[in-house]
Amino acid sequence: MLVVDRHGGLVRINEAARLLLPDAASGDWLHERVPPWLSDAHRRICDGLSDAGSGPPTGRIRDRFLEAHPTTGDDGDVVWWLVDETDRRFAETALLDVRARSEILAEVSGALLSTLNAGRCMEMAASMATEHLAEAAVLVAPPQGRRHPLTFARRGGPVTQTVRQVDVSAVPGLAEALQGFPPVPARWIDPADLPDWVVPEGFTSPVGSVIVTPLPGHGVPAGALILLRSGTERAFSESEEVFARLFAARAGAALSAARLYTEQAAITTTLMRELLPPALHHVHGVEYAGGYRASKDHERVGGDFYDVHPSADPSGETLVVLGDVAGKGLDAAVLTGKIRNTLHALLPLAEDHRRILNLLNGALLSSHHTRFATLVLVSVLNRDGRTRLRLTSAGHLPPLLARADGTVEEVATRGTLVGALPTVEARTVETVLAPGETCLLYTDGIVEARGGPLGDDFLGTERLKRALAECAGMQAEAVVERIQMLAAQWIREGRHDDMAVVAITAPRASSHAGDEESGRNGWRNT
Amino acid sequence: MSGFPSTEFALELVRESDSLFVRVTGDLDYDTCDELVDGITEHLTGDGTPPRCVRLDFDGLTHIDSSGLSALLLVHRRAGALGATLHLDNRPDFLERMLHITNVLDHLTGPPPGSRSGRSAG
Repeated sequence: MLVVDRHGGLVRINEAARLLLPDAASGDWLHERVPPWLSDAHRRICDGLSDAGSGPPTGRIRDRFLEAHPTTGDDGDVVWWLVDETDRRFAETALLDVRARSEILAEVSGALLSTLNAGRCMEMAASMATEHLAEAAVLVAPPQGRRHPLTFARRGGPVTQTVRQVDVSAVPGLAEALQGFPPVPARWIDPADLPDWVVPEGFTSPVGSVIVTPLPGHGVPAGALILLRSGTERAFSESEEVFARLFAARAGAALSAARLYTEQAAITTTLMRELLPPALHHVHGVEYAGGYRASKDHERVGGDFYDVHPSADPSGETLVVLGDVAGKGLDAAVLTGKIRNTLHALLPLAEDHRRILNLLNGALLSSHHTRFATLVLVSVLNRDGRTRLRLTSAGHLPPLLARADGTVEEVATRGTLVGALPTVEARTVETVLAPGETCLLYTDGIVEARGGPLGDDFLGTERLKRALAECAGMQAEAVVERIQMLAAQWIREGRHDDMAVVAITAPRASSHAGDEESGRNGWRNT
Repeated sequence: MSGFPSTEFALELVRESDSLFVRVTGDLDYDTCDELVDGITEHLTGDGTPPRCVRLDFDGLTHIDSSGLSALLLVHRRAGALGATLHLDNRPDFLERMLHITNVLDHLTGPPPGSRSGRSAG
């Protein structure tokens, strides 16, 4: 509190005000002791000019921010109550900062989560970091082998991405950040210690301050973010460091989501590519066609597969395999790969289906699980216009034969599933396909497709047989298409498991479109 | 995705002297099979003497897929390792057909391999 007379002379000064104005004493001129904002305000009051409406005068005295409330006494002296507003002012500024920052964070999350492409996500994170936090940012992703994907961004400059072998231990705190440990405070990092690779191209001025912060992902670190400011800019404050960590948390969450998705998508793509129908229309005088429709739930890709292994020469047997692995997702995919590889290795033994199945069974047995596969082996031999089949089911749905007269037979082969029991039993059945006849292999995704008029019926074996009965005389590819269409129309928009079909067709001698009659009469070309 | 109005999966386990009774209701499939394996394993390896026989009642079973069958094979293996026999009661047609096609009925309901030692060969 100050008491000032109408001429601007200090009359009294209390203890609290003395702390603020240690040199002031009674009798001093006010304008010599206080900043103009206060002495001017005093003069205006004494001159009778009203400050009404503009609120009390405010200003700084030394490092404090003050509001001055005048009370005019009867004798013309003015009592100035100085109220310290420094903390409130500080709190208001902080609040504005916090608001601005939470807006930035929301923007960061929104922008980053909208992309599921890991590369693009890193690019955006680095670029946004230079916009809001630092002059330059380097995003170091977890290593792929020995090399780290690096994303460099400079404020106002382009974002560049590269994969390089870098020494992460050369950057203080980086190795720890990549393992997800809490960040090292910026003031402990000496910019002079930074290796050259950290500084983005075009960042010419010497580095003044550095923040290294982890990007926390879902359970595992998604990488680390290095923020750089040049020596001419002010160093990172403590609150900016906290903000950098919050930023990193948002970016890390988005990045690991993108990375998980990318991995999942890559696995799915690999599986699909592996399962693309083999381009085998015609092998040694027999037609083959396959169709595969993966489950719509990508995380639930099952383990349906088929392969056609042609013999080296026409006098040998071609081996066709169609199978289904229990379970879904990665586990099923791994087992599927194992089965296909093992069968490929066992091809020289294809004469004896039972032996192949027992060897395969032994290779698949595991004490940890009972994940099994069911499959059908078909050895096909075309000699003198006769197509002979040897079929063996290992716990799989029976193959169907579409005979030329429009009847459909279930092949009476039966055997044990593979991969779960100590030994397997299997009975091989032989049959002959007349020209125009088809043998159909299919997985349970077809007969257990849910749909129909009520939406909840299985397609079932009987409906499949009826559809197949109309396929006599058709080419293998047309049969597969027909069956796939049947299933698609049955399930319509509903969900479904993997569905695979393979058709083995003995071609109608000279397969011209008008040969219906001769086919029906069993006419055979020689 | 249209949800199918199926009975919710439920498991009811009751221990009576030498036997463990298990009632399975609903779809035994990829989503529910772990529950069956974990539930029975808990009873097999819990305190006290393991049961001599595990009786699964499938009267309320509405559907089974390959994962469900895989779970039955695992239950059989674990029960067999402790010398317990598996019984599959009230089998619906679709279960019967699946067990027939995959040729595992005799295996699942046969006597335990060696009535003592740790793990079966498979």
